[in-house]
Amino acid sequence: MRAVFHAIAMHIDARSLPNGSLLEGDLCIVGAGAAGIAMALEWIGSKHTVLLLEGGGLDYEPAMQDLYRGKIVGLPYFPLEAARLHQFGGTTGHWAGFCSTFDAIDFEQRDWVPYSGWPLRREDLDPFYARAQPLLQLGPYDYAAARWQRRDPGLVPLPLDPTVVWTKMWQFSPPTRFGVVYRDAIFGAPNVQLYTHANVCEIVANEALTAVDGLRVRGHDGKEHRVRARQYVLACCSIQNARLLLASNRRATAGLGNAHDLVGRFFMEHLEIPSGHLGLETSRVPGMKMYAFTLGVTKARGELALHAGVQRARRILNGTVSLEPGTADEVAKSTFQSLNPQVLAAMRDSTEQGAPPPSADSTVVPPAPFYHLMTRQEQAPNPLSRVSLTTERDALGMPRAQLDWRLTDLDKRSFREFYGVLGREFGRSGLGRVQMLDWVTHTEPAWPSTLSGGWHHMGTTRMHDDPKRGVVNASCQLHGVANLSITGASVFPTAGAVNPTLTLVALTLRLSDHLRLKLG
Amino acid sequence: MERRDFLQTLGALVCLSADGVRGPDWPVLAQPLLLMLLGHEAVRELGMQYRALVPQEDNRDLLRSTLPAPWHRSIAATIQQDFEAGRTVVLRGWILSVTEARQCALFSML
Repeated sequence: MRAVFHAIAMHIDARSLPNGSLLEGDLCIVGAGAAGIAMALEWIGSKHTVLLLEGGGLDYEPAMQDLYRGKIVGLPYFPLEAARLHQFGGTTGHWAGFCSTFDAIDFEQRDWVPYSGWPLRREDLDPFYARAQPLLQLGPYDYAAARWQRRDPGLVPLPLDPTVVWTKMWQFSPPTRFGVVYRDAIFGAPNVQLYTHANVCEIVANEALTAVDGLRVRGHDGKEHRVRARQYVLACCSIQNARLLLASNRRATAGLGNAHDLVGRFFMEHLEIPSGHLGLETSRVPGMKMYAFTLGVTKARGELALHAGVQRARRILNGTVSLEPGTADEVAKSTFQSLNPQVLAAMRDSTEQGAPPPSADSTVVPPAPFYHLMTRQEQAPNPLSRVSLTTERDALGMPRAQLDWRLTDLDKRSFREFYGVLGREFGRSGLGRVQMLDWVTHTEPAWPSTLSGGWHHMGTTRMHDDPKRGVVNASCQLHGVANLSITGASVFPTAGAVNPTLTLVALTLRLSDHLRLKLG
Repeated sequence: MERRDFLQTLGALVCLSADGVRGPDWPVLAQPLLLMLLGHEAVRELGMQYRALVPQEDNRDLLRSTLPAPWHRSIAATIQQDFEAGRTVVLRGWILSVTEARQCALFSML
């Protein structure tokens, strides 16, 4: 079967396969989003045959998207079918391109953050961050504010005490639409076979649960196919990775890799909430280009973050704050809400065309007297915040996912402490005054109606060297299953303060190197 | 600060002088940052909240006595020291130094 389709095309719509087809390769990647495509690109030109299985098609299809529909319990959350794109290129089809690195403290075991600590350090990931940068069409692997200021003297950080509040740099991808930018590379790769409309419904393990024997792929047309490879990689996103493992319960009743009831637990988001205001003493600030953002134009900008030492002393989570100019009498807006309609329309067009939207650059950004403060904070790992399965099944017979998103007192207290420190530092420096919104000042655990995530799903197959505390090991291999690995933000033990894409691509490249050793 | 706010604030300070506050004292109210950032109405509200929050200081003479004499050191330096030492208070969500909160309280009595 493989030979037949080799001769025709490297992209095969699984709906065209005869029922009961067997797809064989050396490496099988399940999911063609940022992680899956990044992995496949690494193997182009190798001697190994790579199967890249995408459940959706090349474009948006409602029937495919509906497979992601699920039930929300716990805190309110976005509809699951809207939170991820089920098509070639995955959610990069509508991401905004915000990239930054996790901080060293994000990898540490922090005694005030239960379940924190990665089995690797920031410096272990540095070479892979550097490799991930060009894949995301970013600039140099450099996130130091001072060096960005040398490149562009207009990028001046606020003169705050950096041992208290520092300027954390972000870089902006165009944003890279993986399904557009890497389509030709994947389609033209002689050793990569992309199958679209190939929804994996079950991972079939051997009797001892020590290896994967194969995958079952199902289509809306009722056809079912088998997939066999030497190594398998799940790259389906946090909710779907967990869902697939839990649903693969033919031999392991609790789900594959779930002997310790960890799969699906520790679901994390970034808490992105309007939290306060800044009244800026404009006469003391020459310009605010460092903190400004123009979609499609800005290559790098800063956000305010608390120094690791302050986080330790206050025993709080990591977070950053963006500054959006506005007025006191308007509702706080996020960076995207602040964009004018023309820019948003251009952004929608760019989603379809894969090109950055046109926009005017501004070399001088005068300081405004008033800023809305938008916080992006990591969520504390919480085993009660979880993805599980419902009894309802989708069109392919898969149990649908249920999300029970839950937060802790630490999440709330961290906001309050963050703004307390920020307010004191702005006051001390004479640069302005900070106002906390009501919900931040309250000590009770209630959250505001503006509670929102960043559409970032993390943590459901967390990484830990101890199989009783993690689903995958430090190499992203499923504990106890020699030929199954997982990549994407689902392996994050903690969420960090920044958007996950750069880190998940870096982890994918790291996993690719591990698999190279295994496959020879 | 809007021109109208500025004029109203200036007028309030003149009234303060006319109300019997001695000339050398009124500069303790002339901390411009909050007035510039928020305007006089918001500063007045902050002051009223401080007086409600700390009723034992709801007294003009007492408030005046807690503020540094203007010839002793600049208000700005005192406020900076407040922030450094953590002598802050939260009024309507604004994180303020105790000194400037007292300024607001005194201002709200105009």
